[in-house]
Amino acid sequence: MRLVLSEEQKAHLGCLPRAGGAAVSELGRLAVDLLRRGAAPRACEAAARQLSISTDTVQRGVEGLTYLLTESSKLMISEIDFQDSINVLGFSEELNKLLLQLYLDNRKEIRSVLGELAPKLPSYHSLEWRLDVQLASRSLRQQIKPAVTIKLHLNRNEDQTAQVLQTDPSTLLHLIQELDQALGEMKTNHCRRIVRNMK
Amino acid sequence: QRFRFCGDLDCPDWVLAEISTLAKISSVKLKLICAQVLRDLLGEGIEYEKILKLTSDAKLESGDVKATIAVLGFILSSAAKHNVDSESLSSELQQLGLPKEHASGLCRSYEEKQSSLQDSLRACSLRLSRLGSVCWRVDYTLSSSELREVNEPLVHLMFNLWDGERSGTAAIPVALSADKFRVLLAGEAWGGAQLRPLS
Repeated sequence: MRLVLSEEQKAHLGCLPRAGGAAVSELGRLAVDLLRRGAAPRACEAAARQLSISTDTVQRGVEGLTYLLTESSKLMISEIDFQDSINVLGFSEELNKLLLQLYLDNRKEIRSVLGELAPKLPSYHSLEWRLDVQLASRSLRQQIKPAVTIKLHLNRNEDQTAQVLQTDPSTLLHLIQELDQALGEMKTNHCRRIVRNMK
Repeated sequence: QRFRFCGDLDCPDWVLAEISTLAKISSVKLKLICAQVLRDLLGEGIEYEKILKLTSDAKLESGDVKATIAVLGFILSSAAKHNVDSESLSSELQQLGLPKEHASGLCRSYEEKQSSLQDSLRACSLRLSRLGSVCWRVDYTLSSSELREVNEPLVHLMFNLWDGERSGTAAIPVALSADKFRVLLAGEAWGGAQLRPLS
């Protein structure tokens, strides 16, 4: 599967052959840093001064490289497809090899960064519970009313939230039964077939 | 096989696996490590360097040291949770394969601190909110825009709560007329009378 680059992206990457081999490695490093840590305008300015090219060129080159790397890593394209995709830009053989190496070296890390970007639901962290018995209240004396209080701690992208729930023991038993049935679904033939195919 | 210190359930596999690690340490050093783990469970802070020194003779790797601390923490807190006496704990640990001297050393440390451990576990049980303090003030209203001669006492109460749900303090101000305050006090007195036979 080949990447299709738009005219704008071709223009961004068009500055690379003029910059030279060493500059391209530097821009590649900046692109990977951008993906790891986010935008760093001062680093781009420093690189521009060091390589004696304008900051704009550096910025656009880094953006072009970032797009190239993320799209290639996202689709997990093979070496041949990557080479075909960049051949379209008409770069030198040496530059093509450099870009391919950049892609292969950083592919795994970029994929793990991209994996983190998917939206996540709050997930289970821990559970605290307490069993109480209500003996009396202002309206009614001499009662026996058990209640289970649960504090559910949830995690969502490093945000901790807590939800307090209260129920009586029979509802709790019903809840446990339902969850057991849900787990039991994994053992049905239908689910087993799908899991086997996924492996 | 059911164990009382595991809450009448099977012993977890990881605990079983680490018993052999515990047996590698001498029984005297194990008792000292227990004392450190008990300090940690009671919230007094653990001295990790001392534990490293005590385990150095047994030539345990760093993963094994952490596993030792974890398994001792589990055994001691679980035994306190299920109110297991020290002889039963000792015999159950020996059934799991812990040598006699190790088990008796561990259980002697457990016995010394059993009630403080249970008190500490009781204190950190789930509580949604807690009354910190109550401040009061009695004013006497002379007159108002509605009525020229009011001449009535007014009670101001400030309840300082620790909110377990949101983990912060909240101050709730309440203003009551003298009659309402008397009703409140009567309710309190009745509630207090209900609690007396329980304690």
